[in-house]
Amino acid sequence: MTFDFPILTVLIFLPLAGSLLLAAFRRSDAVARQVALCFSLAELGLSAWVCLASSLGTPPGAPAGFFLFEDAAWIERFGIRYTVGMDGISLVMVLLTSFITVIAVIVSWDGIKERIPLYFALILAMESGIQGVFLGLDLFLFYLFWEVMLIPMFFLIGIWGHGRRIYSAVKFFLYTFFGSLLMLVAIISLYLMHGAQTGSYTFSLTQLIQTTVPYEISLALYAAFLFAFAIKFPLFPLHTWLPDAHTDAPTAGSVILASLLLKTGAYALVRFGYPLFPEAARAFTPVLYAAAVFGISYGAWVAFAQKDMKRLVAYSSVSHMGFVALGIAAWSPVALSGAILQMVNHGVTTGALFAIVGMLDERTHSREIVTYGGIWGKAPALSFFFLLFCMASAGLPGLNNFAGEFLVLVGTFRVSPVAASGAFLGIVLTLIYTVRLVQEVLFGKENSPLSLKDLSAREGGVLAVLALAAIYLGVHPGPLLELMKAPIALLTGIR
Amino acid sequence: MTLSDLFSIMPIIITGCGALLVLLCGPLLHTRSNSAIAIAASAAAGLWAAFSSTAAAPAIPGLAFTPLAQLLIPIFCLAAALTLLFSHSYNVRRAILGEEYPATILFSLFAMCVLPCATNLLILFLALESIAFAFYILVAIDLGRAESAEAGLKYLLLGAVAAAITAFGISLIFAGSGTLALSAAIAAPGNRAIISAGWGLIVIGIAFKLSLVPAHLWTPDVYQGAPAPVAAFLSTSSKVAAAAFLLMLLAFAPPMPEMHAPLYLLSLLSMVIGNLAALLQKNIKRMLAYSSIAHMGYLALALLTGTKEGYAAVLLYGAIYTAMNLAAFGAIAALSGAEERSQISDYSGVGFSAPFRGGVLALSMLALAGIPPTAGFIGKFFIFYAAIRGGEMPLAVIGIVSAAVSAYFYLKVVVHLYMHSASAQATTELGPGMAPPQSSTPSESLALCFASLAVLIIGIFPAPLMKLVDVVLR
Repeated sequence: MTFDFPILTVLIFLPLAGSLLLAAFRRSDAVARQVALCFSLAELGLSAWVCLASSLGTPPGAPAGFFLFEDAAWIERFGIRYTVGMDGISLVMVLLTSFITVIAVIVSWDGIKERIPLYFALILAMESGIQGVFLGLDLFLFYLFWEVMLIPMFFLIGIWGHGRRIYSAVKFFLYTFFGSLLMLVAIISLYLMHGAQTGSYTFSLTQLIQTTVPYEISLALYAAFLFAFAIKFPLFPLHTWLPDAHTDAPTAGSVILASLLLKTGAYALVRFGYPLFPEAARAFTPVLYAAAVFGISYGAWVAFAQKDMKRLVAYSSVSHMGFVALGIAAWSPVALSGAILQMVNHGVTTGALFAIVGMLDERTHSREIVTYGGIWGKAPALSFFFLLFCMASAGLPGLNNFAGEFLVLVGTFRVSPVAASGAFLGIVLTLIYTVRLVQEVLFGKENSPLSLKDLSAREGGVLAVLALAAIYLGVHPGPLLELMKAPIALLTGIR
Repeated sequence: MTLSDLFSIMPIIITGCGALLVLLCGPLLHTRSNSAIAIAASAAAGLWAAFSSTAAAPAIPGLAFTPLAQLLIPIFCLAAALTLLFSHSYNVRRAILGEEYPATILFSLFAMCVLPCATNLLILFLALESIAFAFYILVAIDLGRAESAEAGLKYLLLGAVAAAITAFGISLIFAGSGTLALSAAIAAPGNRAIISAGWGLIVIGIAFKLSLVPAHLWTPDVYQGAPAPVAAFLSTSSKVAAAAFLLMLLAFAPPMPEMHAPLYLLSLLSMVIGNLAALLQKNIKRMLAYSSIAHMGYLALALLTGTKEGYAAVLLYGAIYTAMNLAAFGAIAALSGAEERSQISDYSGVGFSAPFRGGVLALSMLALAGIPPTAGFIGKFFIFYAAIRGGEMPLAVIGIVSAAVSAYFYLKVVVHLYMHSASAQATTELGPGMAPPQSSTPSESLALCFASLAVLIIGIFPAPLMKLVDVVLR
């Protein structure tokens, strides 16, 4: 089987085409939903089909480890090329993106009441931007997608959000925009340095890796990259945009934010940060360890104090992403594959939790924990899934987060026992806030006489799919790990 | 003078004759015909310039159709044509029906066409001042509004001082070099002190035209008072012309280290103060005025590197800035009824009640903020690339940080367009809320289409425009 067909380009721009279609014809809301679903399903099918290519060898001209690769001239004056490529890590992220977008579309089927075509157009545009980030191998192209991604999310939060939606949307945008502009300076500096050394001015990742950067300068450049990525991640203390954005976003917005946008920061650190500046990255490892370990505990600690369920889940994201940062900081094959697995796991689990909180919110218009209590009797199916995903989030063996966290901890312990031990404390704290959430919402005594409908078929279906994914990833993460094995070996070999 | 010489300065002839034709026959014709003639003349001049061949030798004494002219004349002509398209409906709504409006636009376009062709300091100066002269009239054209007249007077008084300073600068260069020919005058090595002083005065004069801090104080008042289409033309073409003036002098000059410090200061102050002051504005045109001060600061940043890359960035940014600001002011003009929507909060909910015009305004705001995939991003990228390459790292970082700040006030407009509802605004603000916008006229829609497509296409495929810019600097 050969792939002469520019499948990566289709993968990136298919959702955008759907988005433009929706924006152009916004007559019927029902049709808009179906079009959005069709496009997101087509994208998922395409990503699944691409899996078949993962067994192929490297095509000519592609960097090692990339089984799909497309390259075309774009802005020749600056040596900017349209270079996209897919290796095992990108494939995993692309699959996650397509999967979560389908979930996001179905989750917002009934919850969104106004400007429906525009809403779905933005979700699809968002998907295009995210796929571009996961596939771009030219730093300029990557930067472009990295910024483009912000605009649809800004509108999603600002138009369909709740509470202080405008404040949160602007805060989200400015925070990330500011971080990325400094990265742009670093990218340009690296580009000029490479050009001055070799005479070939290019933004190609594979070539820029070979630049010899003086150590002091590489520290500054890496710091700019890390700053941009850490904001997206988000690493303590750059996380303050996250609780607001997550809480005020519409349900699908929170799902995409938590499951996908946060992953772009971690992915970019693995794909660009470490390979471009290996020595500076090593120098910054203690910082990353500290931010990760502190973030794990801090996120869990603050989550425990929350009264709003959505905010609680948002802070739990800070905690969980700390594990991803920990795995990346350790930079050993085991820890790194754990980190990437944890990215997928967190996407599934937290996405599901945000979806459930959204469903509760749609029913009772309250996200306060105190309004609930004893809902198991009224809505057993919803409560079952709630419990399942809470347990997954807490790292119960057999469910997905356990596998990721376990690998991260094992991998990290070999490199830095102190950091790994610190992270263990976080697990305990995670358990505390999860148990409290489960106890006060599902069990306990009924705080207010709410009439609570159980899951509809649509909601049940979405959660069942997510639950299957969580269980599958928990008991059998092998295939996913297999996909990442080769690229991770290549990446860690650099160091 | 041969026929080919005449052909090579044809854009100047077309616009000049067009202006006279409108002025002479205007009283007999309908307003619509006057606008149509003016638009046709600008389009013809622009197309002629774009498709004729360049020559280094002067066609007539003091004028040559250089590659720079070939790049800039079509940009000026396009800006003028779009301005005329916007202003036709705008002026009809305000009963500004005289033929003097299209004629004055064409006169200023005529001077803009002369400017990049000039090979002589005197012609260069005359062209620059003729542009300004036309704008003194245009800014005050809406006689019914006191604001407009006030803006016109302010612009005239300060502009006259700036013109005098520039003229003095040019005379000092003449005194130092003994010739007015551009190529010989600047390159003359003798009398360095006098020539440097002349340069300093010219920079002050141009700083006024480009509204660089601290010579920027007229800008917010003039933009606020001028009719929106005039502000569109003023903020784009006249700035590009002033930047071209400086470029043409610099292109012939040997490196002048003493020019670095003043330009550095002008750029730094403009970027920082422009963006910070824009944060505080509630009036959209004042906000755009401060934004334009900041953008000219970016331009100065590229200019002061003194490198070919810097000059290329100036030209590219000039073209991109023209497209972005035309879209922004054009959308403001197209959304205005009998009154302009002056406050940013007047745009609440407009993104949904007028999707196309609101969309163009939002797009132009994102472009001015430098967010991809718009042309604004490519422009900023080129500017900061040139600055870093030219060794201006600290200033580039300051510029980038101030650009990040600027995103806030551009987003504020987008937030009002899409995230505030019009009804909520009517109850919270004092006085009655704005009525929903009337439907736009075909000419406005056409012009907005042009401007926004330019913003998007240059943003995604900037390579052709970059090629044109490189040809100029070869």
